Amino acid sequence: MKYAIKMTGPVQQVLRAMLEDAAVPRYGLEISKQAGLETGTLYPVMARLERVGWVKSSWEDPDLSIRDGRPRRRYYQLTKDGAEQARLALAEISFRREKRRSSLTSTRPGPMGASL
Amino acid sequence: MTSRLQIQPQPPACHADALADLREILRVTRPDADVERIQRAYDVAASWHQGQTRRSGDPYITHPLAVVTILAETGADDEMLCAALLHDTIEDTPYTLAALSGEFGAGVAALVTGTAALDQIKGRGRRTVSQAAVKRADTRVLAIKLADRLHNMRTVQFIPQVKQLCKARESLDIFVRVAAQLGMDTIEVELEALAYATMKRNRHARSASGRLLLTVAALLPAAIRIRWCEEWLAELHTLPARRDRVRFAIHTASGIPQLAFTVRMPAWGHRRSG
Repeated sequence: MKYAIKMTGPVQQVLRAMLEDAAVPRYGLEISKQAGLETGTLYPVMARLERVGWVKSSWEDPDLSIRDGRPRRRYYQLTKDGAEQARLALAEISFRREKRRSSLTSTRPGPMGASL
Repeated sequence: MTSRLQIQPQPPACHADALADLREILRVTRPDADVERIQRAYDVAASWHQGQTRRSGDPYITHPLAVVTILAETGADDEMLCAALLHDTIEDTPYTLAALSGEFGAGVAALVTGTAALDQIKGRGRRTVSQAAVKRADTRVLAIKLADRLHNMRTVQFIPQVKQLCKARESLDIFVRVAAQLGMDTIEVELEALAYATMKRNRHARSASGRLLLTVAALLPAAIRIRWCEEWLAELHTLPARRDRVRFAIHTASGIPQLAFTVRMPAWGHRRSG
């Protein structure tokens, strides 16, 4: 299956972290901790996810930040479509990984193993 | 400038200089201006705002006076100039719209109400300007609002820092574009510079971590740079320990080239390796 975004390791880590509770908006530092990624890796991933529409970001209500006396944060949230695509993509990846593992134990070459 | 340093409240006469400057500007940009009518608008505004002060401590009338001067420089018409002087009287003083309309005409009254209508009152009395309201607004109203915002940004250091950032952001998002649309190039340039300067004055922007981020962020396209900088400065704010802030800044900065590459690239197509 083809996806709008290349499912690199960091992309998968971010999506797994965000899918734990897809409805909750989170700010970058929060996601970086949950995904176990450095922020230098995280923000470019967020930019890509946002560009393909899997994630949307928005400023928090300035009234909240004014009340707390801090600058407003930018929050990220999976879109409905994004969450669905992400679940599918992650499921497919783990399925393929499983398949590859079983094909390595058997003698039949798997689709990825053929060229190795 | 010197008047600001004096502690004694100034009698209205201290604005004589500003008024003389206004006359001087009008002589060049609007030789046909009805100076008497404009003077009358000033007198009415000054008397209603009497006793009110700006956050800076300056008498309130200094604000409408600055706004009208900005507009006079652009060659605005008499109604706009009167409305600029009176623009806050209806909302902030007991002066009524009916009285204003009777004294200065329905045209001026419409400009004053139009300018006030651009503000949307949000929680805790905070005023914001919505993109939709700007789209509907008359260009003369927008010009007054723009001059109002320009002076507010010139004196933005007197409001709380968090609000400063909101105003700076709103100026960049909405008013710089409005200025460009109206062809008011000098205002556009000044407003943009003020908004960026405000961002940079932020406490975290001045720290070593903030400076590192802002410096490396120069790699990002200008259109999105401010959004990321604001986001990162807010993240810095959530980290109480200096060590964590430095760590955050170094790691985030190291990802900026990648981010710049990502946002400059055309959207990733349905490409697949293997």
